[in-house]
Amino acid sequence: MQTDNLDTRYSRQLPLPGFGISGQEKLGKARVLVIGAGGLGCPVIQYLSAAGVGTIGIADGDMVELSNLHRQVLYTSDDIGKLKANVAAQKINTVDPNIHVKVFTGYVTNKNALSLIGNYDIIVDCTDNFIARYLINDACSLLEKPLVFGAVFQYEGQVAVFNAGTTTAPKISYRDLFPEPPSAFSAPDCNTAGVLGVLPGLIGLMQATEVIKIIAGLGEVLDGKLLSYDIRTHQSMIMEIQSNEEAVVHIPKDRETYEKLDYAWLCNADSGNAVDKVSLHKMLEDGTTIAIDVREPGEMPEADFPHQKIPMSLIDSIPDMHGYKNIVVFCQSGVRSAKALVILSEKYGSSKKVFHLAGGLTGYNLQNNE
Amino acid sequence: MPINIVAFGQLAEITGSDFEIEAADTEELMQLLREKFTALKEMKYAIAVNKKIVTKNTSLHNADMVALMPPFSGG
Repeated sequence: MQTDNLDTRYSRQLPLPGFGISGQEKLGKARVLVIGAGGLGCPVIQYLSAAGVGTIGIADGDMVELSNLHRQVLYTSDDIGKLKANVAAQKINTVDPNIHVKVFTGYVTNKNALSLIGNYDIIVDCTDNFIARYLINDACSLLEKPLVFGAVFQYEGQVAVFNAGTTTAPKISYRDLFPEPPSAFSAPDCNTAGVLGVLPGLIGLMQATEVIKIIAGLGEVLDGKLLSYDIRTHQSMIMEIQSNEEAVVHIPKDRETYEKLDYAWLCNADSGNAVDKVSLHKMLEDGTTIAIDVREPGEMPEADFPHQKIPMSLIDSIPDMHGYKNIVVFCQSGVRSAKALVILSEKYGSSKKVFHLAGGLTGYNLQNNE
Repeated sequence: MPINIVAFGQLAEITGSDFEIEAADTEELMQLLREKFTALKEMKYAIAVNKKIVTKNTSLHNADMVALMPPFSGG
């Protein structure tokens, strides 16, 4: 790292009591992995790099889409179709070429998470689905890595810190709060629930703040605590999380068990009639099964198997699908498809069997990378 | 013994964001809520009594605040 202009670059944060040169040096030595370079990830990546975090890993397999730009302010119209992780890396290096940026343009899965996470001091969960959130949490628990969690729903956000070791209390994980993922029916669907761009901006900044506090040893970290924030009222609440007996049951006990777990299945299994990648491909072989994408037009990525597109908004007017015995509906993460499954099962009765793809294309791509 | 309930996220759409209910402990409270709001049965959520997440039945006292917090996944 160049040292000639650092005093000037960081001249506005160096005088801070409790931070100073030692705080700046700690940031410079820190290695932070940001998983997800979307609404939450953009502010985290931008502010951590600007603050001088020496090594930043960016993991995201998605490409920039037009519908991202209202909240993912690191990207511009020219970036549409480019890999987010690459664009993000390029942009932060224009602000500070001395930051070491490591890019991972695949999806984080339980097959690669441990080796990826092992290289960093702090992990920031900026993902947008429960599959990723549970597999990141479990990896951080196994490796005892500090995890800074952030999530949003409509006008509300959550921030929490796990495994940071800033207190003497027993280490808390996301599973102490929510031992198991919610069923596909009760989980909100990100693409249709809606989000105001400023919310992930705020929550992402709170995550970045916690990262800086952990590294520099500043203030009181939300270690083992859940902060909830409502942008409609600016009301917030900090809740203390306690060890939960159920959490121990669900966190895989070692590396091998972890890598064998089917997280896509775990997040969708209780919705019934769920199929995974292997059974989907088998079903598509003999021509009696049709796959239907129920996402709205323009949603990416495109499925790599034969399918028709009937968005959820038009699902009621689906044609009879003569000649097919089975229908497999799919969406991004398996939430909308679980709802489509119910509607179509009712419509076709015993004339057709209806299934849905567990974990949606997110889960499918996760198995793709194996 | 009125207890103040604060519901977050998609739970607030089912129950309303804050209201009062009478219950002696969290188990009784949850049972009453599930009877009153049947959609709650399918939901997963954490329960906090006076800002502490509880996982076992906890006795409630006058004017305690119980928060119902569902998991969020958006990002």
